[in-house]
Amino acid sequence: MTSIGTGYDLSNSVFSPDGRNFQVEYAVKAVENGGTAIGIRCKDGVVLALEKLVTSKLLKKDANKRIATVDRNAGVVHSGLLPDGRHFVSRARDEASSWRGTYKAPIPGSALANRMGAYVQAYTLYNSVRPFGITAIIGGYDAETELSVDGAVGNGPKVGAGGKTQGVKEGGPFLYMVEPSGLYWGYYGAATGKGRQAAKAELEKLKLDPKEGNCISLEEGVKEAARIIYVAHEDSKDKEFELEMTWISSMSGPTKGRHEEVPKALREEAERLAKKSMEGEEEEEEKMEG
Amino acid sequence: MASLFHAPMPSTGPGYSFSAQPTAASAPRQHAGFYPYTDNGGSTLGISGATFTILAGDTRSTSGYNINTRHAPKLFKIGGEGPDNLNARIVLSVVGFAADGNALKERLDTVVKMYRYQHGKEISVHACAQRLSHILYGKRFFPYYVTAILGGLDEEGKGALYSYDPVGSYEREQCRAAGAASSLIMPFLDNQVNLKNQYDPMSGQGLEKVQRVPEPLPKETVEEIVRDAFTSAVERHIEVGDGLQMMVITKEGIEETFSPLKED
Amino acid sequence: MNHFPEAWGRPRDEIYGAYNPTYLPSSLGGAHQPTTRTQSPIVTGTSVLALKFSTGVVIAADNLASYGSLARFTDVHRLKPFNKRAVVGFGGDVSDMQYLDRLLNSLDVEENYTSSTGDSKQGGEEGLVDAPLMSAKNLHTYLAKVMYKRRTDFNPLWNALLIVGLDDQSQPFLASADLLGTTFSAPSLATGFGAHLAQPILRRVVPNEAASRELSREKAVEAIKECMKVLFYRDARSMNEYSIAVVDENGVELSENEKLENQSWAFADRIKGYGTQVV
Repeated sequence: MTSIGTGYDLSNSVFSPDGRNFQVEYAVKAVENGGTAIGIRCKDGVVLALEKLVTSKLLKKDANKRIATVDRNAGVVHSGLLPDGRHFVSRARDEASSWRGTYKAPIPGSALANRMGAYVQAYTLYNSVRPFGITAIIGGYDAETELSVDGAVGNGPKVGAGGKTQGVKEGGPFLYMVEPSGLYWGYYGAATGKGRQAAKAELEKLKLDPKEGNCISLEEGVKEAARIIYVAHEDSKDKEFELEMTWISSMSGPTKGRHEEVPKALREEAERLAKKSMEGEEEEEEKMEG
Repeated sequence: MASLFHAPMPSTGPGYSFSAQPTAASAPRQHAGFYPYTDNGGSTLGISGATFTILAGDTRSTSGYNINTRHAPKLFKIGGEGPDNLNARIVLSVVGFAADGNALKERLDTVVKMYRYQHGKEISVHACAQRLSHILYGKRFFPYYVTAILGGLDEEGKGALYSYDPVGSYEREQCRAAGAASSLIMPFLDNQVNLKNQYDPMSGQGLEKVQRVPEPLPKETVEEIVRDAFTSAVERHIEVGDGLQMMVITKEGIEETFSPLKED
Repeated sequence: MNHFPEAWGRPRDEIYGAYNPTYLPSSLGGAHQPTTRTQSPIVTGTSVLALKFSTGVVIAADNLASYGSLARFTDVHRLKPFNKRAVVGFGGDVSDMQYLDRLLNSLDVEENYTSSTGDSKQGGEEGLVDAPLMSAKNLHTYLAKVMYKRRTDFNPLWNALLIVGLDDQSQPFLASADLLGTTFSAPSLATGFGAHLAQPILRRVVPNEAASRELSREKAVEAIKECMKVLFYRDARSMNEYSIAVVDENGVELSENEKLENQSWAFADRIKGYGTQVV
C-alpha cells in the first residue's frame, strides 16, 4: 500500500500530497469485508436484502435483525462495522423524526439521503473522529398520493385556490447508497460488502430503468434479491449465512406504504427458487465441462 | 362550550361536590379558567380488628349528576409482586379526585416495591403509613385532592388502620369513613364500633350511666357493619352506589370481594 | 455628532423621546410578559360515543369542529386509528387533538422500529415472537399519563378522549381520559353532551359487562347510530355527517363519511310553548 510509512494515513482530515484521505480509504476496506447488502428499486417498490454471515452457532436463528426501519416509509441496510451501522440508523431515525416535527410529514428519500450524506461526510473532516466503517443503502417509498399532514384536519378546497392540480404525479420508490466518504448517489440497484462485484454484475442484468420500460415488479425484485445474495455468497461458500429481506411498496401495494420484513412464506419461496437456480447453473457448468 | 368541560369545585364538607362552586359573593373570579381538580364522589371506610383489617368502598364514579361508570374500584393492593400485586399485605383506599388517587396509588406502590428490592424484606405497615404521609405532604402546595385510608397488619399481627387528610396529616384509628358520605357513615361507626352513646342497660340513670367499653369485633360482625353502612349511605347520598368492594386483610392474605349495591 | 454608529439613522431621542422597548420580548429589553396557558378550548368537537360488544368495540363521532356556536369545519375526522387494534376518539379542542395525533404518530413510528412484519400475528413457530403490538389498554395508560401530566403542569390538553380496541388478552377494551387526567372504563361511554343524551340509551342496551358480552356487532352499531341521531336532534353543536369505527380481531374498520339516515322530525310537531307559537 502506497500509504504505509508516509505518515499521511495516521490522521483523519489530513490529505496525502496526491489528494487522498487514507482514513476514508481504510474505512472502505472495512466495508469490503462485511456481508453483502443489496437494494433493488423496482417498478412498484424497493427490496433490501442482506447476506447475514453467521459468526457463531450460539446465535439465535432469525434474531438480531440487521435491516432497520427508519421511518414508516424508509429502511436502511448496511455492510461493514456493525456498531457504526447502528449509529448511522439512530441518526437517520432522528433526522426522520425531526423532519416530521418541522414539516408534519414524512421525510422524502432525497432529503434523508442528503442529510445522512452530510452527516457521514462530517466524520471525514476532523482528526478527533474516524470515518464510518460502513456503506449504507437507504430504500423507501415517497407517497404518490397526497398524504394528509400529520394531525391535519379536513381535506381543503376541492377546486380553486388551494385546490388540487390534476394529473401531477410525484413520489415513488427511492434507493440511495451512502459511502464512508459521505458520497451518495441514487441507484436503480445498489450493492456493497464482500460480494458486491458479483452482485453488481447480476443487478446490471435486471431491467430496472423505468425509461426503458417493463421494469421488474416488486415481487420479481424479491426473488431476484434472494438469488443475487445467494450468487454473491458463492465465493465464501464455506461460511453459513442467513438471508434477511425487507420491502416497501406504495399505499396500494402489499406493504401499504410501510417498510416491512418480507413475509416468511414469500421469503422461503424466494430462497427455494434461488437455491434451485444455483443448482441449475452448476449442472450447466458440469455439462460444459463434460 | 366551556361550561361543558368546566370542572366543578370539590366539596369542602358534607353535601354534594357540585353545589359548592364558588359564587360571586364568596370567591369572585375574573373569568372561568382552568381548574385542576374535580370530585368523583363515592365513599370508603375501614375498620381494624384483632387479627384483621377490613377496607371497603363503593364502585361508583361520578361527575356532577352523571355516573361515569358503575365499576371504578377505590381500593388498591399495595406492594407484592408484579402488576397484579400478588401476595400483597397492604391496601390503600382513596376517595376524592380519582386522577390524583390513581397517581398516589402508583407512587406508593412503586415505593413499596422498591423497598423490597432495596432492603430484601417487606415494608411494615407503620413505615408504609409514614411514607404515605410524606408523599402527600410533598405536594402540600398542590395537594393530591384525596382522603386516603391505609390498612394492613402490624408487626404483632393486629389489624392496623391509618387515615389521612389530603396533605398528609395522619393517625392510627380503629375505624374511619371517608368521602362523600363520610358524614353519614362516621357517626354510625362511632356508635356501632366504638360504642359511643351506648350505655350498660343495667347501670343507673343520669350520672350513674356507665358507657359500654368497645372491644375488637369479630370479622363477621365487622363485615355486617360495613354492608349496613353502605346500604344506608346509598339510600341517602346520590354519589354512592352501584357496587361494594371489600378487602379483608388477614395473615393469610387479602380477600377481595365485590357485591352489588343499588344502581339508582 | 453622535459617534455611536448604532444610533445613526434613528429617531433622535431629544425630539422623539427614548425608544420604548416594552413591546419587545424580555430578551431584547422588553417588559416581562407572564406566560399564558390554555384557559378554554377554541375550536371544539362535540360528543364521542363508544360501545363494547361480544368481540369488539364500536365508536363514533361527528365530523364537525365548532368555533363557539359557529359550525366552522365540517370535514374534521375525530376518530384516529392508532394501529390494528386501537382507535382514539377525540372530543374538545381540535388543536390539542392535532397535537395528540402527531404524538401518537411518532409513538407508532418508534413502536415499529423493531420487528415490523406485514403479518402482525402474535407468536409463530420456534418462539419467534414479533414484538407484540401495543394494545388499546397500553395506549390508554399512555394517554392518561400524558393528560394527567399536562393538567399537573397547569397546561391542559383540553380534550375528552375515548380509547377503544382490544386489550393484551384480545378482549374488547373501552376507557376514557380527560383534560384532568381522570380515567374510567365501562361497557358504554359517551363524552360531552353524549354523557347526558346518549349514555342513558346505551345503558339500556348494555346495563353491565355481562350484557356487552352477549351483544352482537350489528346491534351495537345500530345502537350507536341511533344515539348519533338523537345527538343530532338535540345537540346544537352537532352535524349529520359522522365517522364510525369498529375494532375487533380482524382489525379496524373505519368509515369517515357516514350520513344519518331515517330522520323523522315528526316529534317537532308536538313541541309547543316556544317563540310565537302559543297554542
